[in-house]
Amino acid sequence: MNAKNIRFAYCPTVTQGHIAILNHESALAHYWSVLSQWPERPGTVLQIVEEESKRSQFFTDVSALDRLVALCRARYATYPEQPETHILAARTASIRHHFDQASTHVYTAQKLGAAADEIEEIRLTLDQATGGSPEALLTAREAYARQRPSLQNLVLLAALYAEHYEIELAEQTYLQALASYNELSPFPLAWICFQLGMLWGETAPDTDTEQATYWYQQAVDYLPGYTHASVHLAEIYLNAGDHTQALALLHANLQSGDPEVFWRLEQIAYSQGHTQEAQRYHALAADTYERLLTRHALAFADHAAEFYLSEGNQEQELQRGFCLAKLNLSNRSTLRAFELTYEGACAVGDLVQASQIQAQARNKFGRDKAFGFSVFSERSI
Amino acid sequence: MSDHIDGPRSIGDPPTDVTDLFAFKSPENPDRIVFVANFFPFAGQSALFSNAADYSIVVRQVTQTGMGTKAGFKPIGQELRFTFQFDSLQSHDDGKLHAQKGTCRLPDGRLLSLTVGQESGVTTSDSTVRVFAGLRSDPFFVGWLRDGVWKPVKNLIEGDNILSVVLEVDTSKILHPQDGSLFGVIAETTSRVSKNSSHANFQRYDWVGRPEQTNFILFMPGKTDLSDLWNQQTPFALSQELIPLFRQRLTDSLSQWDRNDDKQQWDDASLEAHVNIRLNDFLLIDVAKPTSDTSYLEIEKSAIEARPHTTGGGRTLNAKDIDILVTWLANRDQGPFWQSPATQATKPGGTRFPYVQPPNLETTRITRHIDVQAPPERVWEIIGDFGSVWHPLVANLTLTGQGIGQLRRIETVDGKVFVERLSGRDETKKVLNYTMISGIPADIYEGQMSVEPNGSGSRISWTINFRHAGMAGFILDITISTLIYTGMAALQAKFGSAQ
Repeated sequence: MNAKNIRFAYCPTVTQGHIAILNHESALAHYWSVLSQWPERPGTVLQIVEEESKRSQFFTDVSALDRLVALCRARYATYPEQPETHILAARTASIRHHFDQASTHVYTAQKLGAAADEIEEIRLTLDQATGGSPEALLTAREAYARQRPSLQNLVLLAALYAEHYEIELAEQTYLQALASYNELSPFPLAWICFQLGMLWGETAPDTDTEQATYWYQQAVDYLPGYTHASVHLAEIYLNAGDHTQALALLHANLQSGDPEVFWRLEQIAYSQGHTQEAQRYHALAADTYERLLTRHALAFADHAAEFYLSEGNQEQELQRGFCLAKLNLSNRSTLRAFELTYEGACAVGDLVQASQIQAQARNKFGRDKAFGFSVFSERSI
Repeated sequence: MSDHIDGPRSIGDPPTDVTDLFAFKSPENPDRIVFVANFFPFAGQSALFSNAADYSIVVRQVTQTGMGTKAGFKPIGQELRFTFQFDSLQSHDDGKLHAQKGTCRLPDGRLLSLTVGQESGVTTSDSTVRVFAGLRSDPFFVGWLRDGVWKPVKNLIEGDNILSVVLEVDTSKILHPQDGSLFGVIAETTSRVSKNSSHANFQRYDWVGRPEQTNFILFMPGKTDLSDLWNQQTPFALSQELIPLFRQRLTDSLSQWDRNDDKQQWDDASLEAHVNIRLNDFLLIDVAKPTSDTSYLEIEKSAIEARPHTTGGGRTLNAKDIDILVTWLANRDQGPFWQSPATQATKPGGTRFPYVQPPNLETTRITRHIDVQAPPERVWEIIGDFGSVWHPLVANLTLTGQGIGQLRRIETVDGKVFVERLSGRDETKKVLNYTMISGIPADIYEGQMSVEPNGSGSRISWTINFRHAGMAGFILDITISTLIYTGMAALQAKFGSAQ
């Protein structure tokens, strides 16, 4: 692994981010307008799902999830026997991390005659999200990507390699996706760049801050307002002590409503000795997480858990974090979910539960390379 | 639809999806020919061209190679390429974005600079070429939907917009019809790399000749989708390797079309001639003859029927071209005309440049109903009073004037100020209408509150119909949704939920 050399891979020229965002927003508004006037018009619903998913993924627009839920309910009330209704419901449930519900809708969609390709794609995504059998999942993903080497399938495969700590394979596959891209939308490229940033900034055992910075910046350059990329980049600057850059990124994303923005502002404020300001940001972050949890608990349980379990929090918040981590684990038994729950148990001093969680994780992931890089490999209780 | 969303690749990148191509004699001046190419199906109100693609209209002289069962058309001579390129958006110092700019490169290398959306377009100094680019109402209309069989439906493109480039040329000075008056036209989107260079990154994203070649003809349910493969072909020069594949598909599809009325009007030889014509897919126009709303496909039809064509063919904005097409496919014009319910576009094409009409600017409508225990009269005392302070977000309210036209100035609890005007009030029907004068970035804002009996209680309804001004977008949607939801929750608490 050549982690110390920055690979400035060819990053294609695509439509300017500002233009792409305007086109996306105005197209979405148009689809909703069409739907309100002509609900039966073919294809409108799936276009809405596509665009609202972008809003949720790239701009942390939680109201996108609310709109999708409302759309699902309306479609189900009117067209319960259409496969498209259940595909919509499956995708929405998946985004909200209601994986059992998503599976049910996939099954129904299949019975009603939905396209086999679409069914297979959603099932694989659900397996990956819920932490299915690691070896079987990887084999299935690799086969799927070989048969259908689309950008999306390559990126999902790369993400799975990353989860398995196959860092070089992950990077190769991300770069393959990048090189194969011959369209003009910046959204997919921003996604790949963000994933590469995560790979080098958080996943790789030997993290490479320079590479992570490069890729996160690429993601933001492709798509201004890409909240997650901006926040992760801000975190890098924060850890490097460059508060100016960090603050610029975070302030530019305040409107997003992403509680992690407040969380990082809290950290900057503390490091600058502005305790009251830090407490205010902390309260804002907590308040925002709680409001998100009332609407989409499963989708935000892990993020909120990380926040509440972060260093310096009080007992009550640590307990809250542990509770949310357990909720997340009950919904998706990925290695990361086990790690988060284990950290929660340790944080609140519940060594019995910590031990149980460790045993469960070892049982499921013990043979996986990733387990050797997890928190479990260093501890024994 | 025509070529709207006609392949998996195009679905992923709408600004490069070529939706339509038209060619017709200018209604303003018969000595000029107009080409209109449209892109970006279902474009929203703020849609812009990509800064990373070339949008081109390509014209080539064409010769007819045969008639009857030997009917065919072959491109000859050099291509005349008109390429539009558009810039990235630039910001003002206050962060606002400029209007998009662009250029049109003419075949002789001249560059015309333009501003997207400038209605008058821009003209060369010698007045031989005039161009326009911008958001327009989609002039296409289609009333056929494949659902097992072809079903007539209302216009599937109703209310939609597209990005349009309009090119009007002096026929004699640009096209030189004295050398031959028959032309083939295509529109395409490509990457911004010369197709003659060896740069490996040249891409063709989409192209169109005749409408519905992909959606209605090449696409067959249950069979491999060839749309993407077709869209990447070089216009005027399909890959020789792939011609057998496309030929077979066209033959199968056109045969299937012929069987729609359980009669065979296309004999094998004529069908083969039709396939050959479609393998060379470009819009045909004879610039020496008149075009009209009924002349679409007349050149091709005449060629197959072994008679000289009498019109300029082409495709006008208001032609019922899809009905003309499906009738010809289904019964070779030997049976009833396939008239769909779609008889015109949302905004039919005009007679003045740029001929394609201004965009449809949609409003958003948010409506909420609640059922309460209180009788209508009691509810109306509150919501029917324009000066009543019942909304929890209202901190202060001041009235000016009386009756219709009365103004209310609202200060909200978070410091915002709105001014609304009473525009209607029906005491009998218990309906109150108002409009927004200022305070919300919408250029249309109409509200209505009403109450009607519902069992022993009432149903309260609140509707706001609005249109974003500028880039207000989703923030506005959320602001207004919150206003309604919060207000209705307060009314429900006040009047009690119905059982």
